[in-house]
Amino acid sequence: MGIPVKSRGADWLRPTLWDGVVIAAVVAAAVLLLLALRPAGGGDLRAVVTLDGAVIAQYDLSSPSQPARTWVDCPYPLLIEAEQGRIRICESECPGGDCVHTGWVSRAGGQIVCLPNRLVISLSAAAGTQDGVDAVTG
Amino acid sequence: MPSQGERDGKKEKRWSAMKNRSVRRLTTCAVLTALALALSVAEGLVPVTILFPLPGLRLGLSNLVTIYALYRLSFREALLILLARCFLGALLGGNLSGLAFSITGGLLALLLMEALRRLRGLSLFGVSIGGAAAHNTGQILAAMAVLGSPAALAYLPPLLLCSIATGAFTGFVTMLLLRRIPGE
Repeated sequence: MGIPVKSRGADWLRPTLWDGVVIAAVVAAAVLLLLALRPAGGGDLRAVVTLDGAVIAQYDLSSPSQPARTWVDCPYPLLIEAEQGRIRICESECPGGDCVHTGWVSRAGGQIVCLPNRLVISLSAAAGTQDGVDAVTG
Repeated sequence: MPSQGERDGKKEKRWSAMKNRSVRRLTTCAVLTALALALSVAEGLVPVTILFPLPGLRLGLSNLVTIYALYRLSFREALLILLARCFLGALLGGNLSGLAFSITGGLLALLLMEALRRLRGLSLFGVSIGGAAAHNTGQILAAMAVLGSPAALAYLPPLLLCSIATGAFTGFVTMLLLRRIPGE
């Protein structure tokens, strides 16, 4: 035991080129993940609310409708607000309140997660609705 | 030829020196554990999540202690400090559910940093950034396990990008520490 690197001098106290390789690797991992998770575009925006693995509510965010505010009965009750094109958790009694800080989510593939409640709101674009032929011209 | 008494005296001296050394190490470990705990509490006072609303985003100040222990003490002692910090932090903070996240993230970070540290040509910055990225990955893995769905994975890319900044920051601070505080 002891201090094995100490005798090697202070070369590990200064940034080196190899640190750049580590940074590049992290950036590459992030970009690859981002590309892999990119949602399929198009279609109607839908929000699915999952509590502890079970779907408890679904919102159709594509059609213009009245903004809906619903309290969800879970370990730390929270208030979900949905309107056209976006959804958020506007109040929550959970510790931390990360889900409220996430704010509005409006993109397909977007997520709101409330870990203390094990609640997930995920947005998806219903596939197939706009994939067909829009018009045929002669 | 030294007499029996002289030899005993020498042995006694050596033994007490060794004991001194181990007591010193133990005290260092205890101080570092307390420091890590205090830092993780202090971290809560700097709400980075208001600037970047990302769950799990932290400055990683207590990771600073892990890196310091890894370089100044040993892997074993860094591991013990990490475990003590996670358990005590969960008890003090009153949320045992947070234990899964801090342990998974902390262990993954420690293992990766130990591996990176052995690579030549890598400085503290690289090790620290790798550790920060591993910590976030571990946290997300724990979140995926708790949620039972891959939903939390969506947070990983932005967290990884942020970990470059937070890792560089902790690396820089640890570098200052290692320069200023003389070793044994």
